[in-house]
Amino acid sequence: MSTPQSIVDHSALKVNQTGIVATVLVAFLGSVAWRPLLVLIPLLAVVLLLGTFVPRLALFKQLYFQVLKPRGIVKPRPVQDRPEPHNFAQGLGGVFLAVASVFLIPLPVVGLALALLVAVLAFVNLAFGYCLGCQIFFQLERRGFIRA
Amino acid sequence: MSAQLWALAVVGAVVLAAAGLETLRSRRARRLTSGATAAPSGQPYVIYFTGDSCTVCKTHQEPALSKLDGVRVDKVDAVADRALADRFHVYTLPTTVVMAADGRTMHVNYGYAPAPKLERQLAEARGAALRSAATA
Repeated sequence: MSTPQSIVDHSALKVNQTGIVATVLVAFLGSVAWRPLLVLIPLLAVVLLLGTFVPRLALFKQLYFQVLKPRGIVKPRPVQDRPEPHNFAQGLGGVFLAVASVFLIPLPVVGLALALLVAVLAFVNLAFGYCLGCQIFFQLERRGFIRA
Repeated sequence: MSAQLWALAVVGAVVLAAAGLETLRSRRARRLTSGATAAPSGQPYVIYFTGDSCTVCKTHQEPALSKLDGVRVDKVDAVADRALADRFHVYTLPTTVVMAADGRTMHVNYGYAPAPKLERQLAEARGAALRSAATA
């Protein structure tokens, strides 16, 4: 199977993953001292879901394209790649965070654990290049549930 | 604070369980696919499962494979060749399988396998071939 490939700037993905890890960590650790910081988790869910369906509203990617890249703070790393698996992974992260947000008040352990899991997976992607969401996309595509 | 600690414990348990499952899966695949390969070779070789959606394949795995001097690498599109991918229980990309010269499965690496790791596994496959030749 051969799919036409486009160029994906992997630095934008890395900035996105860094943003996810940092936001969840601030919410997780900060909420020990100041519980309202947990609001960052539903906000992050909204940011990720919006970014999945309306890419120009992807906050962390826009931060990269509008600020970090033009100022040379982060160097671009264009790679011949498909954006769909990465968007899918981002959307999946958004869904998990949305579910986490629902649980934050009645069952904080479940909500926090789900949010932390998203951060762990984003970190694994950032540090080791392993993208679980992309693998799920691949499996779904392989079984014909997703047509690229 | 206790909610955070419990959440940390839950995630830690999930990560540990995932690592354990990964190890079991790798061992199981190695055992099940023993002697079940398509094309034996005179030398150990690598079956490399990849796909269009696999970024790490392009950015990490292919450069690592290109460092293996003189080693045959059979590239397989895991989406197109589903039967072969299923035989090796490929659930993630990249997956690399180090095969002995006689067609035995020596190692199955799910996820990115760096060049030194592959070289070590290939050396082990060569050693196994020498041992079996000596005892034959």
